[in-house]
Order: sequence, then structure tokens, then C-alpha cells
Amino acid sequence: MAGSTRGCDMPERSGAFVCASARRAGDRASVLRRILRFCRAKPLGAAGGAIILTMLFMALGAEELATHDPVRTEPARTLDPPSAQHWLGTDYLGRDIYSRLVYGARVSLAVGLASTLLGSVLGGVIGLLSGYAGGSADLVAQRFMDILQGLPLLVLALVMSAALGPSVPNVVVAISVPIIPRAARIIRSSVLAIRESPYIEAARSLGVRHLRIAFRHILPNTIGPFMVLTTAQLGSAILVEAALSFLGLGVPEPFPSWGRMLSISAAEYAHKAPWIVLFPGAAISLAVFGTNLLGDALRDVLDPRLRQRMS
Amino acid sequence: MRPTGERANAARIWLAVWGALLGLLIWAPAAWAGSASPKPGGILSATQSDPPPSLSIHEEGTVATVWPMMPCYNNLVLFDPLKRAENEQTLIGELAESWRWDDGGKALTFRLRKGVKWHDGQLFSAQDVKYTFDVVREAPGAPAKLRVNPRKLWYENIAAIETPDPGTVVFRLSRPQPSLLLMLAAGYSPIYPAHVPLAELRTKCVGTGPFKLKEYRLGEYIDLVKNPDYMIKGRPYLDGIRYVIIKERSTRYAALQAGRLDISYPLELAKTIAQGVKQAVPQIVLIESSTNLNDNLLLNFKRPIFADARVRRAINLAIDRKGYVQAGRQGGATVGGVMLPKPSGAWGLGEKDLVKLPGVGDATKNRAEAKQLLAAAGYGPGKPLKLAVSTRASSFFVDLASFIIDQLKQVGIEASLEQVEMGVWHAKLTRRDYEMAVNNTGMGPDDPDANLYENYKCGSPRNYSDYCNPEVDRLIDVQSQTVDLAKRQKLVQELDVRLQLEGARIILGWAQEYFLMWPYVKNLVPHQSAYNYGRMQEVWLDK
Amino acid sequence: MRTYLLTRLLIGLLTLVGMSLVIFVLMRIAPGDIVDMIFASAGYVDPAAKAEITKEIGLDQPIAVQYGRWLRDLVQGDLGKSYRYDLPAWQVIRPRIPISLELALLSMAVAVALGVPAGVLSAVRQDRSIDYLIRILSLAGLSMPSFWLGMVIILSLVWLLGWIPSLTYVSPLEDWKANLLQFLFPALAVGLRSSALIMRITRSALLEVLREDYIRTAYAKGQREWVVIWRHALRNAFLPVLTLLGIEFAFLIGGLVVTETVFNLPGVARFLVEAILWRDYPVVQNLVMFIAIIVIGMNLAVDLLYGWLDPRVRHA
Repeated sequence: MAGSTRGCDMPERSGAFVCASARRAGDRASVLRRILRFCRAKPLGAAGGAIILTMLFMALGAEELATHDPVRTEPARTLDPPSAQHWLGTDYLGRDIYSRLVYGARVSLAVGLASTLLGSVLGGVIGLLSGYAGGSADLVAQRFMDILQGLPLLVLALVMSAALGPSVPNVVVAISVPIIPRAARIIRSSVLAIRESPYIEAARSLGVRHLRIAFRHILPNTIGPFMVLTTAQLGSAILVEAALSFLGLGVPEPFPSWGRMLSISAAEYAHKAPWIVLFPGAAISLAVFGTNLLGDALRDVLDPRLRQRMS
Repeated sequence: MRPTGERANAARIWLAVWGALLGLLIWAPAAWAGSASPKPGGILSATQSDPPPSLSIHEEGTVATVWPMMPCYNNLVLFDPLKRAENEQTLIGELAESWRWDDGGKALTFRLRKGVKWHDGQLFSAQDVKYTFDVVREAPGAPAKLRVNPRKLWYENIAAIETPDPGTVVFRLSRPQPSLLLMLAAGYSPIYPAHVPLAELRTKCVGTGPFKLKEYRLGEYIDLVKNPDYMIKGRPYLDGIRYVIIKERSTRYAALQAGRLDISYPLELAKTIAQGVKQAVPQIVLIESSTNLNDNLLLNFKRPIFADARVRRAINLAIDRKGYVQAGRQGGATVGGVMLPKPSGAWGLGEKDLVKLPGVGDATKNRAEAKQLLAAAGYGPGKPLKLAVSTRASSFFVDLASFIIDQLKQVGIEASLEQVEMGVWHAKLTRRDYEMAVNNTGMGPDDPDANLYENYKCGSPRNYSDYCNPEVDRLIDVQSQTVDLAKRQKLVQELDVRLQLEGARIILGWAQEYFLMWPYVKNLVPHQSAYNYGRMQEVWLDK
Repeated sequence: MRTYLLTRLLIGLLTLVGMSLVIFVLMRIAPGDIVDMIFASAGYVDPAAKAEITKEIGLDQPIAVQYGRWLRDLVQGDLGKSYRYDLPAWQVIRPRIPISLELALLSMAVAVALGVPAGVLSAVRQDRSIDYLIRILSLAGLSMPSFWLGMVIILSLVWLLGWIPSLTYVSPLEDWKANLLQFLFPALAVGLRSSALIMRITRSALLEVLREDYIRTAYAKGQREWVVIWRHALRNAFLPVLTLLGIEFAFLIGGLVVTETVFNLPGVARFLVEAILWRDYPVVQNLVMFIAIIVIGMNLAVDLLYGWLDPRVRHA
């Protein structure tokens, strides 16, 4: 959700942009050095990265980290406060909140990442091709993007998930659709800027095929804006998933997603057992906070205009 | 004992006497105020969760229509709104002044009140009664047809309705059916005006009731206003009622707690949140009562897997009913069978019989037996039974289904969950397009006929599991015609056990109501059926 | 300028047609229809009655015919009848529009009122602790689900004050104070997120401007700091904020869905969700078109305003 505007002041006017990272991608040592440099220059961004890495770690190692079966209900222990046995307490069905949070990271991050990637890649390809081709193809593609963007994101996701029914892949598709036009727009504008640069002209005059130019020469140079976009959209995708789950249209049980954990029933127990809403709420906010921190720092580093100013 | 003991005792007695006198002094005016004659006036602030699908009670089966529209209409007879129990002894006449059974229980005659006027000024007569029930039972040559007719089955045994004079109606039955009178007393059985087209009653209300419809702001609120020409002089006490539609449950309770609402919505069945409000505002009145609503698990008998009685019994055993009470309803439910259990229900099973039902006793033993049955049916650790559980996409149902799925998992059944949007849910059930379904069923009166025909008879549209047993059908007919109460109760209880053992519709338990109202609301008595006590004729505000 | 406007309008129109197709198709893909809903409370669906009602409201027609009919009526200004309420769709939609509009505008006002001063403060005190504090707070604001925020607000109000705003809509003509009180809290819930975005964009725009020569000149001339910021800097930061508001608007309407539900405001967004669930095609389709028109119009207005305010764009 958050990212739609974050990218907006970046693309349109960005000048020739040659991404060094793509060329040196193979050099592992230098990558490490660059990461270190990034951490030193952008401590907040690094903190954001650390948050996301921790959550990813949680998601991947859920089996090892969880202390209980996340779907096991214990009627005798409903709404138990945090204790040695249930670190973060239990919910109204007597399920262990800590274990659900750990598994929930998997669902929320997987849905967030998958929908962000799907949306940005689809949008990116459309943006790349339409930006490179120009002319009427570009116009048609852009109008199509307008259609997708004219609808409020949550409303579109709502109609989509009503149409497709709640299931993990459907939720991913529903969340990814609104990301497509945003991605397309950002990639397109950086393509427009690169298209006229001398080395692309050179490639063209050497007779390199169009598709090859688009994917081999232009694409790597859009990695920067693409990464900024993806981190920004990741946070928003997590929030949309939470909102959809809250409305009962998100990832269905038994998958514990953070949004589902914050559902309407949870709100009703809020005053009696605050822990059942506190922890998932904190998890969502922290994850989104992390992606925002990282996204901000990445933009500062990767946006050429800002970079120029810094040097 | 020390010598001073006697004196001390005497002092204590005096203290007690004085205390009692003082207490009386304080209590008496309060008690007097409490039993004071009702004050007329005031607007009652009520609420509901959803806009009514339409305002026509006969075309709907939801409390969202009955609750705000009941004050607009009258029945022939009604369960006394001031008494909690609903049975033949608590019936009062509304449009009927008196009634009696003739012809060996095959004719029911009502003497009607005279001079009653519809809200539009027309005079009410026996013709309206005949019209209403001819329409509802879809009699041959009925003057009109309901778009949706959910309760046609209730009136199946009416052979003819006669109106010998404008003040008399006679219902002639094809066979004795004592339950008919009780079904006529339900909030679902109002008398409709014969002179107003049915379609109009979906958006307005022309009744004889204590309140008239003033305004329905779509999706916002329903305003009712006192009917000055009401047939009972001095009623209603209230000047009006406003039903505010509030979608979010926590917002509804916040509004009640903040004093923006006077009473809660029936069938919230929310123990924890109601108790939370009571804790925060101790003077608020919390009324706990049983309800005529059960949570249940449907097995689709059309699916071959459920033809195997062992599988059905294994599932029935796997779900620990006490666990359901705790997890599913936070303790706000009771274990029961097909009919509302004793002591709250008149027909259901008592503790002694309930223990014998599958899933009620010792959970460990039940699970062991379930695993054995599954193994005998050819399922086990290597080859788990895989099933799909469908339910409505709302928090409560999804949580309940999650609980069920986990219970099944503990006997080795792997169940997946399918969430279905509310609107599509009943269409899906009607198509029998599910394997297992978590559902709940609210009933009008606590009556075997109202329940059994609708939910268990072969071919009934709402017999969602398609359980069909001709022998059971016959027994349903037999109990229906049995006039002797004790004998009928015994028959019903036998049927109850049988239906539960066969897994016709696995009853998880019966939900309890936690109705809240501010102490100044008087004469509103929640019944166990939320569909029957909303007339509001006697309610007054002590403000 | 005129051709530019014409092209923009034409493109907008085409976009609308495309959108109508998308929403139309999506609604038909969704399982179930209004007739299932009508029968829902009865607990079963009677096939004969279903066929009859389907025919009555024209849902038995081929999809293409239905689509053509809708567009034709739409062009003629006829929004059709709400299936659910059996009333003209426009009559059902109209009373809800001012409510959502008021909430949207008030949310934007809250966003600007919170976001701009915070952004200015943060830019002027760049890299000091107050800057970090504001930036972290704004990021935190971006990280909170708005449905959650609304719920927290209403629950804290009732638990702390024993009071919540009115749950039936109070018209400003009737009682503007009560109206404002009713809308303030939901506007806060919706606007907080946008305020964080505005703060960030104000800050970065201001930082850019503060480095310009003429600002330095102004400082050199001894002008007071707030005069410089107010007179010279802020004016330039205005454009990006405006752009942002245009884009935020579409998002904001999405945010209204949950907030209107939690605060029980009978607005467009909540009604739309209800209509989607009820498969009330005429209401959903026309409401979505209505929102699209507003969003497109808003973007166009922002672009035009942008051109008017920024001479560089105007001459280009």
C-alpha cells in the first residue's frame, strides 16, 4: 500500500542511469563490501533489513522454532496469559500464539513476497516492452494500466477475491493485480530515459535484435528502481493481506496469517486477553516498518539523483 | 461463656433489628420505584447487525427482519412477552380473544377481537387471517404467492381455513397436530393484511401492531413510532423504537457501553464480550438464558464415504462436545441433542441420556474408539481419511471449523477448510455441494414439529445432510399426532437419541444468550427463542 | 492547452469503458447471484422461484446483452434498479456520497495538517534527534493497518471516556459540531497514513529547496528562518504534496471501506462492500464507475493545477 507514492517522485525525470551493480554482480567480495558500506551509511536501512531477515528466518525455520502445533486447539487452556509453556499466551481456541506467529510469518511473508514479485515482474515486463516499443503499443498498454490503477487497491482486491474465492493462490493474484500498473509505470519511465542513451543507440546500430536489447541491455539498468519498488510494495502487500483477512477474504484457515490472527473475533477478546491482538499487531507493524526502513535506504542509495547529491 | 456474652448477644440482635429496619427504609422506596406503574414515553435505542434483507417477515428467516418488524404486526396468539418460558401455558391471545380445539384435535377455532384496525385505517377481519395462512401454506387457489416461503412446512397439515363470520376463524387439519398452536404463536407467524400486495410489504409495513414504521433509512436505521389506535388501550408505553444497524460487533458493544444503545441485539451469543461490558459498567443488566439455536456439523449423506456408518460414528465420536463448549463458545453453550436439552428445553434429553451420546463422555476413550472404527473402515496412519469442511466466511464459523478440523486431526482424519461467502452459502447447501459443513440452526418455538419436519424429514429442502430414513419419518408423524404429552415426550426423546447416533446432523451443542440492557429498560424479557419476544408492547423506560 | 485537455478527456473516457468491462466481468465470475441472496435467509433455494426472479430482473439474458444494456442506460444517465432494495440505484447511492466525500476530504485535511508541519520541522532540523523521531514516527504510521487503528481508537474511547461518537449519521446542516466530532476520529484513522507520506515528501522537497541559492541569499539577507521557509521554501514543496494527494485519493477510498464499517458511517465504501456481497450488480457497477470518475477527475485536476502552478510544466 505504502509504495505507490514512494516511487512517484523518482522516475519520470531520472536521467541516464547506469547501474553498476549489474555489471559487477558476479564479484562476491565486492557485493559483501557494498553491503557493509550500505550498513555503515544507512544504519536505519540496515536495521530494516535485519528485521526482514529475522522474519524470513522465522518463516523458513517455523518447524524448528515453533513450540506447539499452530493449529492444535486446547479447550481447557483458552485465553491463557503468556507463561513458560505458552510464551505469548493462547488465543480463544487455546492455540499457542507464539507458534502461530512463527508460522504466520511464513504465510504473511510468502503471500507478500509472491504477490509483490508477481505484480512487479508482470508490471515490469509490460513497462519494459511498452516503454521500449513506444507508439501505439505503448499507448494501449498504458491505458490498460490506467484501468487497473483507477480502482482503489482494496476495492479491487475485494472484488477479485470475491470473484476467485479465498485460497492462497487467489489471494496472491488479488493482491498482485493492483501492483502491476505501479510497477509498469516506474519501469517504463526509467526505460524511456535509458532508451535514448548512447550505448543503446550503439547496440541498435550494430543490429542487435530488439528483444535482446530490451532484456539484455535495458533490463539490468532498471534493477535499481525495481528493487526500490519491490521493497516498498512488499510492506503494502502485507498490509493488504491483513486487511483482506480482517474482512474474511484473505488466506483461509488453517494457515495462520497475521491478519487472520487480528480478526474480528480477536478484537472482541482484546480487553480480556490483550496479548492475542498485541503480538500479531506488533508483528505486522514490525514487518512493514522493516520494509519501509529498507525501502527508504535503498532509494537513497539507488536513486541516481539522490546519489549524485550525496557524493 | 463469659458473663458479658449475653449482653453482647442482645446488642447484636438489636443491631440486626435496627439494621433490618434501616435496610427496609432504604429498600422500600427502591422496591416501590421498581414496581412503579409503567411510565409512558421515550424512544428505545435498539440495534441489529445487518440490514433486514426485506421487511416481510413471512418471506424471511432471519432475526434481522423479525426483530425490528415484530412490533409492527400481531399474531393470533403469542408467547407471553413477560414470561421467559414458552409453552402452551404461557400463550396469550393477540388478535384472537379465545381459541379451542374441536373434532378430536382436528379443528382449531379462534374468536377474533373486534374493531381492530390496520395501520392504514382499514378494518381487520377473519378474512385477513384466512388470506395470510392460505398464502403461507400455498393453498390451491391462494390469492397471492410469496416470493420466498421458508415456513410452508409448518402449515402442511391445514386442510382448509373457514371463516363462518368476520369474528371467527376455523383451521381444519388433515390430522391432529397439537404443535400448530405453538407455531402460530411464533414471531414468524404474523397476520398480513389481505388488501396490501405482498411485494409492498417488503419495503413497508402495514400491520395491526403496537408500532408503525416511520422511516427506514436503507442500511442505517429503522424508526418505529407508537400506533395511537392500537387495539389495547394504554399500550404501547414507548413513543418509538430506533433500530440502529451496526455491522461491527465490537462497535455495537462499544455503543451499548457508552450508553448510545439501551439494549443489545438478540442472538449475539457472545459470552466473553458481554461479560466484559458488565464488568466495565456494573449497573448494566446481564441476562443469561438458553437459546433455541444449535451449532452443528453436517455430513453429506449423498457422498459415498458417509454411507459407511462407521465413518459417521467415528466423526461423531471425534468431536469432544465439552471442548466445543469451551473453545467454540467460550463456555457459553450446553451439550445437547436434536432438541434443546433439559432443563431449559421441554423436549430434549436430560444429563442422564446425554452422556450416552457419541462425543459427550470421556474424550480419550471416544478418540480411541473413533480410531478403531476408522481402522475397521480401512483408514489409518498410512492411509488417512481426507475430507473437506465447508463453512461461512465469517470469524465465528471459521474459528469453529478450525476447532472441528483439529478435533478430526486428533483421530487421524485430515480435513481441509473451504470458506464460503455468506450469500452463496445456502445456495451451496441447497445444491448439497459440500462434503462436511459447519453450520448453525436457529429455531422458532421449542417444538418437535417445527424442528423435525424441517431438518430431518426425507426431501425437506432444509434437511441439508439429506439424511433419509422412512422409519424415522413415520415416527416423526406419530409423535406429531400424539396428544398425550408424556407419551409424546418419550417418543421425541427416542427419536433424538436415534438421530444423534446415526449422525443425521451432528449437534455440537446449544448456544447461550447473554443479553444486555440498561437497568432503566423495563418489561423486556428475553426468551429462549429470539424470534418470539420482540413485540415491545409492554416495554417502558424508567428514566 | 485545449488539445491537451481534449486528449486527456478522451483517454479518460476510454479508461472508463475499459474499467466498466473489468468490473462487469469480475462480478459475473463471482459465484452466486442476487437470487441466491434473496433465498439466503430462508435457508434454501427454490429452483422454480429462482428461475422466475432471474427472468424478472433480466439476469437470464446473454452476458453481452446485459453489458450492452448497462452501458446504454449508463450513457442515458439511468443507473438501473438496485436488486437488493428494489429502488433506483441512484436513489440508494446518492445519500451516501456526501458522507464518504466529507470523510475523504477531512482525512486529507488531517493528513496535511499533521504531515506538512512535521515535514517542515524534520527538514529544517535535518539529522537532529527531532528529525529522526519524526521520521521513525511517520514510518510507524505507515506500518499500521488502518482497520486496526480505527478499532483501537473506538475501543480506547469507550474504555477511557465511556463515550463514542454518534452511530447514526448527523448531517452538518443539522448540527455541525456533532458532525465534526463524528467525523474527526475516523478521519484520523484514515488520514494518519497519508500524513506520514506527506511528511516524507514535504521533507525531501524542502531539503532540495533549502540548498538552492536563492534560499541561501534570503538567509544571507538576514531574513528570519520561518519567514524564509514560509515565503520561499514551502511554496516549492507544495507541488509534490499536491501530486501525492491526487494519487493518495484512490488509495484513501480503499481505506474508507474498513473505517466506515468500524465507525458505522453509512458511506459509499461500506455500501460498496455490502453490494459486492449481495451481488447487487447495478449498485456495484455504477458505484465503481462513480469512484473511477472521481479518481480520474481528481488526477486530471491535479495535473492541470500542477501545470498552472509550475511554469516549467506549463510551457512544456
